[in-house]
Amino acid sequence: MSQRYEPSGPPNLSRATRWLIHHSAHRAPESLSSRLEEEWLADVASRSSELSKLRFAVGCYWASLVIGNESARIPVPAASSALSAGGIVTLTERNFGYLSLRSATLFLIAGLHAALFYGMITTLSHTRATTPQSNLENHALKEVPPERVPVLQPLSRDWTIAVPKPDAEIPPLLIPSDNVTSAIEEKSIEPDSPPAVIPPRVIARIAGGPGAGFPDTADFYPSPSIRMGEQGISTVQVCVDSHGRLTADPTIVRGSGSARLDQGALKLARAASGHYRASTEDGQPVDSCYPLGIRFQLSNLR
Amino acid sequence: MSLQTLRVLETFLENPAEQLAGAEVHQRCGIASGTLYPILLRLESAGWFVSQWESIDPASAGRPRRRLYRLTSTGLRRASEVFASFNRGVLA
Repeated sequence: MSQRYEPSGPPNLSRATRWLIHHSAHRAPESLSSRLEEEWLADVASRSSELSKLRFAVGCYWASLVIGNESARIPVPAASSALSAGGIVTLTERNFGYLSLRSATLFLIAGLHAALFYGMITTLSHTRATTPQSNLENHALKEVPPERVPVLQPLSRDWTIAVPKPDAEIPPLLIPSDNVTSAIEEKSIEPDSPPAVIPPRVIARIAGGPGAGFPDTADFYPSPSIRMGEQGISTVQVCVDSHGRLTADPTIVRGSGSARLDQGALKLARAASGHYRASTEDGQPVDSCYPLGIRFQLSNLR
Repeated sequence: MSLQTLRVLETFLENPAEQLAGAEVHQRCGIASGTLYPILLRLESAGWFVSQWESIDPASAGRPRRRLYRLTSTGLRRASEVFASFNRGVLA
């Protein structure tokens, strides 16, 4: 029986249904594709509505996937099998390529697990390894010794200018008058007299620093720096008013060698506004600028 | 053996000598094409079914020939055993 129905399937079959059946059949093993296409085109003709035919074609697509998977494991009769002599049974094989869907899924899951494991190693485990060894300390720079106020040197000469009292009062209105006279009399100048010495005045100045409620360095320790084991001291120049509030944006005057740590130090310095201890002069808080060292040390992490 | 396979077998057991196309099996047992054809091929490869093309002239019939399935003697015996095993333990 070799006749084929040449008009490529039954009449009144939409292009979508015909296309779907054609491609479904060709997804099946090669030895079965022509048989299945002819069989499905014949069977779809018995359907009445177009929607039913389309559903049949979609089902054929699913069937081709199932048949393709099973054909790799079980023998499938060839397209020409017949009743005679029990039919011809051939083994069909399906080329799965390098990766089947199952293998790709397996590799994907394994990859996700590997990525998760790596993430845990590089973040969580390091944090656990650096358990706190001591309480956190704020390492600010030592107090700057009070600066000595420059003392004015005594003048070598003392000039005294004596203005004699005018004989007559100057009228409030600037009206020229011949009656009013004024004279400036130069008093004696004694260049050889010893100069008057102004006693030097020493102001006791104490630089400010971290005050009450100063933020914890650990809260501003950058996480990447923790993971990478970065430590160091960032020196920040802060300008603080008498109430311990920042009057200017802090700046780095000496870096730690790590840009991340320096940024963390700047954030800490900004967040600490209002918690600085103001510098004092003679015991009185004054506005001032001073360097503040912020130490990031892993052993200080809790 | 799945319930759908049993329903296909039951359809063929109603008249073991009858040859049925996939479309007719679908009409009788209501199994969708995506499930039906893998079952037919599976049973054929197991030797329970045989299939052949319908002996018509497509040009004169005005339709394509269909693929017809029927139970083999082995398939008939095995399918009967399967259903008999279900009936054991069922009170008549």
